[in-house]
Amino acid sequence: MKRPLEQFQQKCAAVLRPELRQNKEIEHFRDSEKNGNALSLSRRDLLRLAGTACLLPALPLPALAAEEPDDIAKAVTDNKLPPLAERLPQKPRIVDMAPLGKKEGLYGGSMRMIMASADDIRMMTVYSYARLVVFDKDLNLAPDILDHLDIEEGRRFTLHLRPGHKWSDGHPFTSEDFRYFWEDVALNRKLSRGGPVQAMLADGKPPAFEALDEVTVRYTWEKPNPSFLPSLAGANPNYIFMPAHYLKQFHKRYADPDKLKQLVKEQKARNWAALHTVKARQYKAENPDLPTLEPWRNTISPPAERFIFKRNPYFHRIDKSGRQLPYIGTVFVDISSADIIPAKTGAGESDLQARYLRFDNYTFLKQAEKTHPIKIDLWREGTGSQVAFLPNLNVNDAVWRKVLRDVRFRRALSLAIYRHELNQQFYFGLAHEAANTVLDSSPLYKKSYDEAWSSYDPEKANALLDEMGLKRAADGMRRLPDGRLAEIIVELRANSQEEEDVMELVQDYWHEVGLKAYPRTLQLDVLRRRFLAGDTLISMWSGLTVGEATADMSPEELAPVSSAQGNWPKWGEHTETGGKAGEPVDLPEAKQLLDLYETWRISETTDQRRKIWEQMLEIFTDQVFTIGTVNGVFQPVVYNRKLRNLPEKGVYAFSPGAYFGMYMVDSFWYDNGKGSK
Amino acid sequence: MIRYIAFRLLAAVPTLILISALVFFIIQLPPGNYFDTYVAELQAQGETVDPNKIEYLKHEYGFDKPVVEQYAIWVWDMLHGDFGYSFEYEMPVTQVVGSRLYMTILVSMVTIIFTWLIAFPIGIYSATHQYSWGDYGLTFLGLLGLAIPNFLLALVLMYLANIWFGTSIGHLMDAKYLGQPMSWDKFKSIAEHMVIPVVVIGTSGTAGMIRRLRANLLDELQKQYVVTARAKGVPPLRALLKYPLRMALNFFIADIGGILPSVISGAEVVAIVLSLETTGPLLIRALQSQDMYLAGSFLMFLATLTIIGVLISDIALALLDPRIRLQVRQTR
Repeated sequence: MKRPLEQFQQKCAAVLRPELRQNKEIEHFRDSEKNGNALSLSRRDLLRLAGTACLLPALPLPALAAEEPDDIAKAVTDNKLPPLAERLPQKPRIVDMAPLGKKEGLYGGSMRMIMASADDIRMMTVYSYARLVVFDKDLNLAPDILDHLDIEEGRRFTLHLRPGHKWSDGHPFTSEDFRYFWEDVALNRKLSRGGPVQAMLADGKPPAFEALDEVTVRYTWEKPNPSFLPSLAGANPNYIFMPAHYLKQFHKRYADPDKLKQLVKEQKARNWAALHTVKARQYKAENPDLPTLEPWRNTISPPAERFIFKRNPYFHRIDKSGRQLPYIGTVFVDISSADIIPAKTGAGESDLQARYLRFDNYTFLKQAEKTHPIKIDLWREGTGSQVAFLPNLNVNDAVWRKVLRDVRFRRALSLAIYRHELNQQFYFGLAHEAANTVLDSSPLYKKSYDEAWSSYDPEKANALLDEMGLKRAADGMRRLPDGRLAEIIVELRANSQEEEDVMELVQDYWHEVGLKAYPRTLQLDVLRRRFLAGDTLISMWSGLTVGEATADMSPEELAPVSSAQGNWPKWGEHTETGGKAGEPVDLPEAKQLLDLYETWRISETTDQRRKIWEQMLEIFTDQVFTIGTVNGVFQPVVYNRKLRNLPEKGVYAFSPGAYFGMYMVDSFWYDNGKGSK
Repeated sequence: MIRYIAFRLLAAVPTLILISALVFFIIQLPPGNYFDTYVAELQAQGETVDPNKIEYLKHEYGFDKPVVEQYAIWVWDMLHGDFGYSFEYEMPVTQVVGSRLYMTILVSMVTIIFTWLIAFPIGIYSATHQYSWGDYGLTFLGLLGLAIPNFLLALVLMYLANIWFGTSIGHLMDAKYLGQPMSWDKFKSIAEHMVIPVVVIGTSGTAGMIRRLRANLLDELQKQYVVTARAKGVPPLRALLKYPLRMALNFFIADIGGILPSVISGAEVVAIVLSLETTGPLLIRALQSQDMYLAGSFLMFLATLTIIGVLISDIALALLDPRIRLQVRQTR
């Protein structure tokens, strides 16, 4: 019997990871009726989202706490801020801590985090994770900023805001903010050159927008748009609103022309559109003047070495005792160089850190735990293989192409790798040795996938290669059918120590079976361009991103669907562009995978999908289209020992978890009310 | 003299044009551009980018124009004081660099003074006590400083300072003083953090200076006028400082040409290791990510400073050393 927490974690990682899959996500919800309280968006249903979500049980509004954080209390006494009741929406979101395994906390303290570049302050938006709708702990969509929403036929979405909800500057948050974004930004050719984002298009067409009243807006598409809601809940969300009252001063349609001209000149912007774009960035919260709905707002404009995020006094969440969240009033985001972040973390200079920490920092950090007031936990990474080899089946060299397409060769390469040693050498034996497939915590997991051609068997590998006719010459090295020396150039990403380390050992393993291999490091974008052009023989990449997949998630990574797939980029490009570029799939097994994927896209039940997934995994691992090494590697998470409400175990993933976002950073607190100082 | 200066100024123009062309095209040489790198990096971390937005940015920054045209626009804007736009920081280059300039100048100046303070006495001592134990010992120390890789020394010192003195790792001050107005505490914090970079960068520079001063001074000390001065009974210290040392200082003035740009750029590698808020890491990062206007404009700035610095040192040499003036006249 697994503990609820673990089940929770598995689910988190499993559902809806990359945003690529947004198109198919909704189908998952349709079939999750068995969960009872899940959001089911079936074609005919009209559904009220409020109340269905487990984060919003029908609680009576608690009496608001008299207690407020010191700085806020003082501002209220000084008449700089209205009292709490006037700052909150009429129906704030009440967060019941107990079912989340959390405790209600104390106000106070500040939290330091270290990031590597000013660009990284977007992580603050990811971590704080206030969205119109959010993924709750069971990975169902639940309203957060929205009070509730109605969905009809999967194509008409009526969003109900919380009456009285205010921006961080105290200005009301209303349907005007949605209208402004849609009509004056998204549809403005100057501001949105390419038009609305993909998630706002169903069958290529934008929705009709209506502002029904102050707090109600409606988007209606001609066809169902399953990607709409998940896009709103993304770690990098699809913002469909903007603080109109603030931004109008930069918009040509509303601003006084002379004043705007002067502003553009003062800010050294190219034109008004550039100025508006810079001022309106919500994801990367670099404009301190831009009102926000997140729990903290940035107060420092870049360039800076320390960004200070202060509590948003109008934030819409409260705990059951009526305390307004967040508990922690200030978040410092310090900018340092990525290389010294582990050292600084170990010196107790960060109160919450996972970004830029790697598993090989673990011993150092564990040591630091003794001398500094920090604690380190290990969360899990959700990739199917930490490091994987992708033989390029679309390589230009005709002889090599034939060899790589021969399944015996790929199997031999995989059998020659001594995964146990890799595991001992680089992961303290804590990782799981397996082919590149789903993790054992995934409901789709089967031992046979893990073990497909992943045991260490150099004899069998040699036999396979001999059978192929790759003869060893006098020097013991194998020759290609045309007599050339079989030299494999493995291309890997620059600055990835891990891949270089693994490659070093694999070089020896392959040498054992008579194959010479050389690593070659390249910049990411160069590498990508090379394999698509067919110049790359084998590249190194991380494994499946959907390590903890469920049947309802798209199996697209197993089929040739994208030019970003290093093992069959040209086939992927062919699918991606609808046949305009690339090459048609001409390997039966790969074609089969593609067909199965297409079937999945029109499948109706979870059962069907599971069967498709199983077939695909079976083919994918048996054909060794990618060569996995180990998976289930740990991600160190270091935090201040006084910090509460952060789970001990979790899944560290950008999507759908928003890293710490899903664990609600605004609910974290210090048990001495102060933190480190 | 005026003709000479005018000629040098004119000669600087083609030099700068050449440098600007080189800088621009070399930064462009690697395949791809900033946005390709940016997208690839985001995707490697599991994030996605809207392709529309990237297209928009490429157009906005003129990436769809031919390279020569981009170059022309860049140079033209630079002549008008517009150094372009940093993609990574999404703000004008002048703002990005400007914010870090003061700290860079501070660190560089302190380092230079530190180097002088160490190198001068040692150089003089080594020259006057040639082949003594002191000469060998001190020269050895200086060379040791040169031989230990800067980044290694920086890492070791940083670790020890953290263990022994509780100095926070990296940066030029404790995090809590960042962005705060100057105060006594902040000053103390800066002074505390400055020790390591100054020592590390300084030690690598002293060896060269010691050796040059020693060599120049040795040349002078053997000359007739020194012997005469000694014979006439000039006190030893005066006989050293009054003429030979002044003669030996020419190299020092010639160095100004190199000092000027280094004051602005700081020591890149050490600054990266220590995560200093100087311009060095900024430049390296810009070059890596092909943030070409930031990198290009900054390199141009350095090139201009080098040219000005060399000019200044040439003029200063001519002013200070009559021999050089006379030579110039003779050759004419």
